[in-house]
Amino acid sequence: MLLSYLKIAWKVLLRRKFFTFISLFGISFTLMILLVVYAMYDHTVGPHTPEKRVDRLLFTSTISIWSPNTSNISSPSYSFLERYIRPLRTPEKVSISTGRGSVVTYVGNTKLKLDQKYTDAEFWQVLDFEFIEGRPYSLAEVAAAARVLVINESTARNCFGTARGVLGRAFVTDDNMHYRVVGVVRDVPAARTYTYAEVWMPITTSTEDIHNAEYMGSCMAIMLARRPEDVPAIQREFAQAVARAPLPTNVYKWVKEVRLYAGTLLATVVREELDEYGPNDGVARFQQLGAGLALLFMLLPALNLVNINISRILDRSSEIGVRKAFGATGGALIGQFLVENVFLTLLGGLLGLALAAGALHLLNFSGLIAYTQFGINGRVFGVALTAILFFGLLSGVYPAYKMSRLNPVKALKGDQNAL
Amino acid sequence: MIRHLFTLIWNRRRANILLITEIFLAFVVLFVVGSLLVYHAHNYRTPLGFGYTQVWRINLDPGALPEASRVPTLRQVMARLRAMPEVVAVGRASGNTPFSGSTNGSDVGVGKEGNNIMGSVSGHLVEEDLREVLELPLVAGRWFDKRDDAATVRPAVISRDLGEALFPGQSALGKIVGRNGEELRVVGLIERFRADGDLEEARPAILMRVSPQDTVWGEAPVILLRVRPRADAALERQMNREILNIAKGWSVGITTLSEQRAAQLKRTLTPIVALVIVCLFLVVNVALGLFGVLWQTIQQRRAEIGVRRAMGATAGAISWQIVGEILVVATFGLALGLLVAAQFPLLGVFNVQAGVYGTAMLLAVGMIYLLTALCALYPSRLAAGIHPAVALREE
Repeated sequence: MLLSYLKIAWKVLLRRKFFTFISLFGISFTLMILLVVYAMYDHTVGPHTPEKRVDRLLFTSTISIWSPNTSNISSPSYSFLERYIRPLRTPEKVSISTGRGSVVTYVGNTKLKLDQKYTDAEFWQVLDFEFIEGRPYSLAEVAAAARVLVINESTARNCFGTARGVLGRAFVTDDNMHYRVVGVVRDVPAARTYTYAEVWMPITTSTEDIHNAEYMGSCMAIMLARRPEDVPAIQREFAQAVARAPLPTNVYKWVKEVRLYAGTLLATVVREELDEYGPNDGVARFQQLGAGLALLFMLLPALNLVNINISRILDRSSEIGVRKAFGATGGALIGQFLVENVFLTLLGGLLGLALAAGALHLLNFSGLIAYTQFGINGRVFGVALTAILFFGLLSGVYPAYKMSRLNPVKALKGDQNAL
Repeated sequence: MIRHLFTLIWNRRRANILLITEIFLAFVVLFVVGSLLVYHAHNYRTPLGFGYTQVWRINLDPGALPEASRVPTLRQVMARLRAMPEVVAVGRASGNTPFSGSTNGSDVGVGKEGNNIMGSVSGHLVEEDLREVLELPLVAGRWFDKRDDAATVRPAVISRDLGEALFPGQSALGKIVGRNGEELRVVGLIERFRADGDLEEARPAILMRVSPQDTVWGEAPVILLRVRPRADAALERQMNREILNIAKGWSVGITTLSEQRAAQLKRTLTPIVALVIVCLFLVVNVALGLFGVLWQTIQQRRAEIGVRRAMGATAGAISWQIVGEILVVATFGLALGLLVAAQFPLLGVFNVQAGVYGTAMLLAVGMIYLLTALCALYPSRLAAGIHPAVALREE
């Protein structure tokens, strides 16, 4: 039965090639755009290297010195994090690092400006970088302010001409500091805002003022929970620690509250994108907005498909009339039409998947965001499949219902008002 | 004729409801994307109020250096920069320099108690020389100068719209305004100062003076300087070296405002371009669908059209009827869409000027009519070509 439905579907597709083209165009492009957007989302906040254990990680990157009328927003200082966040007990490990900076080096006469990050030794334990060779710098090296560094693969190639065998080579910055390479990691995409860099150095070798009592600075903290279930407990302890910090009234006379929150990768990114620095991280708003926009976006192509599908039914009204006259039930007709429609949607879906892969490939090559490797993985594929089926049903149900209600007598006479 | 068409479509409203909904949604999409484009185009066309080409920004990070010796070192650096022949003018400013992405928004009101409070005014701390660096033209009053050294109240220059909002119907010159509990005396007016960038909405601005005697590092830690047109990368390297000679252990970042502007434009425009691509796809999708449905309809109405032709209707009249019908269907969809779109300016959504929404509505309406007419053109020609004898024999 199913096989004969599919055969009919295939014949119908071939008969009205223009309609088939319109349907496939709509389905495949809609799916392509949904997939590209989802792949970007997954690439930014999904579990990927170096944040593989994303369900156990908590981030804090913005401090707000707040009063109802005025607020100053910045990254927290090293000393603030060291004093109030480092001693937290619930997290397994706490890492403090700077935001993104840059370092300049000269290779021969060419100037290389590299994205750089100062980190502590815990940084390498909290995160899962893929080391091509060498190792991260150790607690002892950070404590001793040893001039050692970890670089990414591309930097190794740009500085030394090769990505292998560069351990122990010297890296000289423009202010004439000599660093020694101890590790090379695989490139981290720039979309991983909190861990991305091209060069990582021990935080003790920076000019960052450790003893400065000012709350605003240029640092961030990453916390690793022992288990995913510990996350709320960490957030509670974190909130208590922030509440214990005295208000910096010596600098900001108007301050009423110091606001600093620990959130998941998604929450932290959303906070920055939506400029939400209050107690509410805006993830719920972001999700509602995203779901609403996706639905709205899919509604227009779906309506278009419904329209086309109804035209197709009109085209086949005599066939349906005959089947009804011979006793086919409404349910059987609905079933047939839905099978046909899902078949068409699946075809469009395959095409869309291919188009999305091509588009992502183009995006990777365009260099819009450094070191991106957008791709279609299992999660993205799952989303694609769900979207395809949703789409097929959405655009098939109403025409199928109409089809089953077709008046056989009028349909057989070829009356255009049979519907 | 037109009334006749409306009756015809109204009688077939159940059959046309899907087309009407589709046109309604297409209009909403075009209206939203159009509003965004009109809004940004309007902002882009408003002058910035300052000159940014040939202006460089030097960011100095003193690291762990104690607070007390920072400003003296900064002054030495500035003296050295001023002595360079390629440099025209040098001035200190607060971190929210043009295109830097860092912004400030504070309430500014009349007097200390704060009447007529104006929210999110862009506040900048600047040195005297910044007028020359950024080529700021004054509308009224005067710029900061030596006379202000003796002033007990810090002097400020404000943008004209801020002056008009605070002191409606009178001159703001010489008046006292309050910001974050500090009193400031207005000494001059500028037309505008859009440090947020080309695509951001123009905000009122207040520029406050930093005198050479001020020693607070955080007030104005950034150097802006104007260079002669022949300045290049060699000058940048020389500056970097000479600054590091004076400020040992500091870190120095030199960028040009043009570079920062380009980076900011790219950041803002990338999502907009993506949105326009998506919108274009949706519109093409709708157009293809419309075309298909119309084509199908013509195939089905061959008999009716044949009869009309046999009764003496010209090919042109048939064509016009088909195009007219689809334009009427579009009108129904647009009427629904305009009802929704009108809510935006009426409710003042996003605090955007009503004119922006009005222009976007006009553009979207025009686009939809154009689109439907274009899609109907080929099917209408097809209909006009139907031969009455052939069509009627099929019956």
